[in-house]
Amino acid sequence: MRALQYFVSEAAASLWRARSSAIFAVLTIAAGLFVLGFFLIVNANMQRVAARWGEAAEMSVFLKDDASPSHLKMVDDLVVGSGLAAERQFVSKADALTKFRQEFPDLAPATARLERNPFPASYEVRLRPEAQRAGEAVDGLAATLGGVPGVAEVRYDRRWLSRLNAAIRFVGGIGALIVAMLAIAAGLTVANVVRLAAYARRDEIEIMQLVGAPLAYVRGPFIAEGVLQGGAGALLAIVSLALVFSAARARYGSLAAEALGLGSITFLPVELCVLLIVGGMLLGCLGGFAVARGVR
Amino acid sequence: MIEAHNVSKMYSRGVYALRDLSLRVDKGEFVFLTGPSGAGKSTLLRLLLRKESPSEGQLIVGGRNLAELTPRQVQSYRRSVGFVFQDFKLLMAKTVLENVAFVPRVLGMGLSQQQRKTFQVLKWVGLQHRMNAYPLELSGGEQQRIAIARALVNDPLIILADEPTGNLDPDLSLEIMNLFREINARGTTVLVATHDRELIRRVGRRALTLDRGQIAEVA
Repeated sequence: MRALQYFVSEAAASLWRARSSAIFAVLTIAAGLFVLGFFLIVNANMQRVAARWGEAAEMSVFLKDDASPSHLKMVDDLVVGSGLAAERQFVSKADALTKFRQEFPDLAPATARLERNPFPASYEVRLRPEAQRAGEAVDGLAATLGGVPGVAEVRYDRRWLSRLNAAIRFVGGIGALIVAMLAIAAGLTVANVVRLAAYARRDEIEIMQLVGAPLAYVRGPFIAEGVLQGGAGALLAIVSLALVFSAARARYGSLAAEALGLGSITFLPVELCVLLIVGGMLLGCLGGFAVARGVR
Repeated sequence: MIEAHNVSKMYSRGVYALRDLSLRVDKGEFVFLTGPSGAGKSTLLRLLLRKESPSEGQLIVGGRNLAELTPRQVQSYRRSVGFVFQDFKLLMAKTVLENVAFVPRVLGMGLSQQQRKTFQVLKWVGLQHRMNAYPLELSGGEQQRIAIARALVNDPLIILADEPTGNLDPDLSLEIMNLFREINARGTTVLVATHDRELIRRVGRRALTLDRGQIAEVA
């Protein structure tokens, strides 16, 4: 405890002595973690979009006008037997026309002038969320249903959702790459600031070595210095992120939420904020340790 | 207390700073190391501080062969040695009190023990009234007394001093030497390197004269 007190007080004093370079290091760490936080917010919300859309994924089996009840029964048996359906519903040609008129009231008068109802009857299947992970089974079901007599066409969202998931993974990958580069830059900046501090304290270090101070006492303040810088940078990143997020949400939040079909856009969960701070401290610790290792 | 057996220290290109040096300093003894510049006085002190190791021979302090110490044992050994340098090696941004208390602090002593020991030694060297001053506000003699207080605060068994009066006038030099005599009177072994023969004469202790890395005279 006494040693820890010593490390922290020495580190704080050293940071204060070299405050301009320390501020630069803190800002660099903050920039890196700000970008990381931004990607995490985007990723978390996109995951929610994917999950929500995944829950709402549907398969539409459009029927030919001459489809018989036995064809319909075959379709129903195949859907139920697959175990992929959460709900299923038959939509007749008349129901389809009514639905169209309700959803597009501006176009409803035009349908009144039609000689015949152009909308096909369909069998609407809402897929289970697990079906997102059982892509081949869904593909197989769609292909089988497509081959049933009386079925005109099978349409479903899986490919689109797969593309969305792939896009999320891609954005996440790019984010990770940028974050990794910024993390390296931040670590190097911390290491340089700590190295300057080590140079400024070379007389103290020499005396500590000559009086036989334990190595932990010689090195500890440098590691503590890195940890303090990393923690401060992470805290700054989260505060800035929260401010920017609040401002953006106040202005564009409802628009974005509506566009994505979410109730609201959410900030990082508390656990992730804590993890970011710990990550920042760890980054600073690594920078400090890189310098401390050279002090013998 | 200190034994050197055929110690040599060779630097690059075959230059010897010490050559086949043997000596013995008993526990509680006060010994001067003297000789011209480049004689090897500071090299011997560096070896005794275990900043370097001999190229040949054995240097034994308190029964421990310094060349065989592990890094952790070096730390432990150095805690039994106090050092004083010509340039004082004080921390200019710290007060007198902080300079002296720095040693017990980095050795992990408790706060009350730090304060007690620091005040004790500052009182002993006569600087208790200047403990909140910064080194640059003090005279050379006072600065050297801070360095001596710092060397003493850990109750060392040996004090090594390298030209401790090199930057001081004759009166202050004698004052500092009197402090070393008092330290020695308390049982601490004292080894002082100086080229000031007049000072050695006035203090009147055993002196080993080095020349080109070898003992040239014992007086």
